[in-house]
Amino acid sequence: MNKLTVSDVTLTFGGLNALTSVNMTIEPGLITSIIGPNGAGKTSMLNCVSGFYHPTSGEIHYGEHRLTHSSPHEISILGIARAFQNLELFRGLSVLDNLLLARHKHLDYSFLSAFFYTPKTSRIEAENRAFVEDIIDFMELEPYRKQLVGNLSYGVQKRVEVARALTLGPELLLLDEPMAGMNIEEKEDIVRFIMDIKQERNTTVVLVEHDLGVVMDISDQIYVLDFGELIGSGTPEAVSKNERVIEAYIGEE
Amino acid sequence: MATNRWLATGNFFTTYKEEQRIFLTNIDRLCLWLLIAALYAWPFFVETSNKGMLVLDNILIAMVAILGLNLVTGFAGLISIGHAAFVGVGAYTTALIASGLGTDHVFLTHAWPLVIIISGLVGAVFGGIVGLPALRLKHLYLAIATLSFQMIFQWVINFSKLFNQGQTMSVGRVFWLTGKIGRKDHYLFWYFAVLTIVVISGFLVRNLLRTRYGRCLVAVRDNDRAADAMGMHPGFTKVYAFALAGFFAGIAGSLHCYLYRGAGIESFTLHQSISYLAMAIVGGLGTLSGSFFGPAAIRLLDLGVENLSSWATNFLPSTMNIATALRPLTFGLVIVLFLMFEPRGIANWWRIIKSYFKLWPFKY
Repeated sequence: MNKLTVSDVTLTFGGLNALTSVNMTIEPGLITSIIGPNGAGKTSMLNCVSGFYHPTSGEIHYGEHRLTHSSPHEISILGIARAFQNLELFRGLSVLDNLLLARHKHLDYSFLSAFFYTPKTSRIEAENRAFVEDIIDFMELEPYRKQLVGNLSYGVQKRVEVARALTLGPELLLLDEPMAGMNIEEKEDIVRFIMDIKQERNTTVVLVEHDLGVVMDISDQIYVLDFGELIGSGTPEAVSKNERVIEAYIGEE
Repeated sequence: MATNRWLATGNFFTTYKEEQRIFLTNIDRLCLWLLIAALYAWPFFVETSNKGMLVLDNILIAMVAILGLNLVTGFAGLISIGHAAFVGVGAYTTALIASGLGTDHVFLTHAWPLVIIISGLVGAVFGGIVGLPALRLKHLYLAIATLSFQMIFQWVINFSKLFNQGQTMSVGRVFWLTGKIGRKDHYLFWYFAVLTIVVISGFLVRNLLRTRYGRCLVAVRDNDRAADAMGMHPGFTKVYAFALAGFFAGIAGSLHCYLYRGAGIESFTLHQSISYLAMAIVGGLGTLSGSFFGPAAIRLLDLGVENLSSWATNFLPSTMNIATALRPLTFGLVIVLFLMFEPRGIANWWRIIKSYFKLWPFKY
C-alpha cells in the first residue's frame, strides 16, 4: 500500500486562501482524521486529493504517482475512493446498480462483446456482481438491494455512499463526514463499519468528521485545520492537549 | 426447492448468471417471441396495400432512430435537437455511395446490409464529432449545439452540388435471394428487412444496457460528478452516447434512403427532429420499450388525424382551413398532455400492466 503525501499545498479561490501551505502524510493502514471548525478547509483538502480541485501550488503524491493535476477518474483508478458529504448518489437507480457502477473500471470486456453479451461478458458481470454482493453483505444493505436510492432514508443513503466508495476496491478511502446528520445508533453503525474497513478490508481511511468524540476514539492520527492552516497534528492524546487546537475549538480565555 | 421459471412468483435466483437474464419468466420470453413471430407471419395471411405497408415501414424505421435518440436523450440525459440530421447523415451516405458508384452498382444493390452498416458507422462518426461540445457544455447549451448541427446540415445539403442541392438523389432497387425486388414487393420486402433490424438492434441495446457501456450512460445523466469519482470520464461518456445515437440514426437513415429509393432534404429537417423528440417523450424517455411505443403511437395518430381531417373537409368550410390545422394541433396537444399527465410515457402504462400480471395469481 502507498503513502499519501501532501506537501505545501495552497488552494486559492480569488483572494481567499482555502488552504495555506498544508503538509500531511497519510500512513497506510491507519485511520487518519482531519478535523477543524466550519470552513476550515477540510472538504477542500479532500477535493484536492480526489482531483475535484487542483492546488494552486504545492504537490500531492500517492506513492510514486503525482496527483496534483490528475482528474477524479484518473485518481479513482489508482485506488483512491471517495464518499461525498452531500449525497452524490445516482438517485434514479437501485442500490445494486449504484454499486455496480462503481465496478466500471473492473469490467474489462470490450464494447463489442457487451453489444452481443458474449459468455466472457456474462462471466465478468457475474464475478463483479458477486463482489458487489460481498460489499452489500459487509455494509448490511441486504434489505435495500433492489430499492431506488432516491426512496431510501438519509441514514441508509449515507451508508450506500460509503458502500459505493468501497465497491471501487480502494486502498485509500476518503470519507467526507459520513456521520453528519445521523442519530446515535446510526453513528455507532458507521463507526463499526469504519473500524471493519480498516481491519478486515485492510484499507487506509481518511475521515473528515465533526463529532470529536468519535474522532478521538477511532483515529490513529489527527490533523487539525483552521482557516486553511494546519494548526496541529499527531495522536488523539497529543492533539487534545495542543493549545492552538483548544483555542480554535473553545476560544481563548 | 425447484424454482418455477414460468411465473414471477416463486421464481428465485440461485446464481448471479440467472439474474442477468433478459426475461424474468419464461412467459415473458414466450410472449415476445410469439409477438415477433406474428409480426413476421401476418403479411402472408392478410392482403395489405402498398400504402399501408409504407406506413408500417416508416414506423419501423422511426423505431431504429428512436432507439438511438433514447440512448442519448433518455438514458444519458443529453437533449439532442439534431437527430433528424444524424438520420440524414446516414441517408446521404447511402445516396453518396449511389451517386459515386452508380445507382445500380452491385455493391449498392447486393451488399445492401453492408451499405446500411457503413451508413451507421458514418452516422456514429458524425455523432461523435457533434458530441464533442459535451466535453464542456451542459444542458440547454449542449442542446443548442446539436441544434446548430441540424442547421449546418440543412445548409450544406441545400447549397452543395454534391448533394444535388437537397433535391432527391436516387438509389436503385436491391436484390435478394429471389432476385430483384420489384415495385410490387418493394414495401413488403423492406417491412421484413427493417423488422429484422429492429429486432436485432432492440436486443443489442438491451444487452448494452445491462453492461457497463449502458450503465455509464445513466451515471452521467444522474450525477456526472459522482460518475467522475467512479472512474468514468464524464465528457467522453457523453461523446460516446452521441456516437451511439448517431449509429442507430445512420442505420435508420440508410433504410429510409433505400425505402424511398432516394434521399431528399425534406425528410431530415428540424421539424422531423422535433417529431423524433416527441416520439421519444410519448414513448417514454429512458425506457427501451418506449422506443417502440413512441414511433408507433405518433405515426398512427398522425395517420388517424389525417383521415379525420380529410373526412372533416366534407362539412367544414374549406376557407377556414380548420381541417388542415387539425394535424399540427393534435400533435402539439398530445405532447403537452403527455408532459403534463404521463411524463414517463406509454412505457409506464406498459409497466403498470406488467406489474399487475407479475404477482398473479396472488393479489399482493
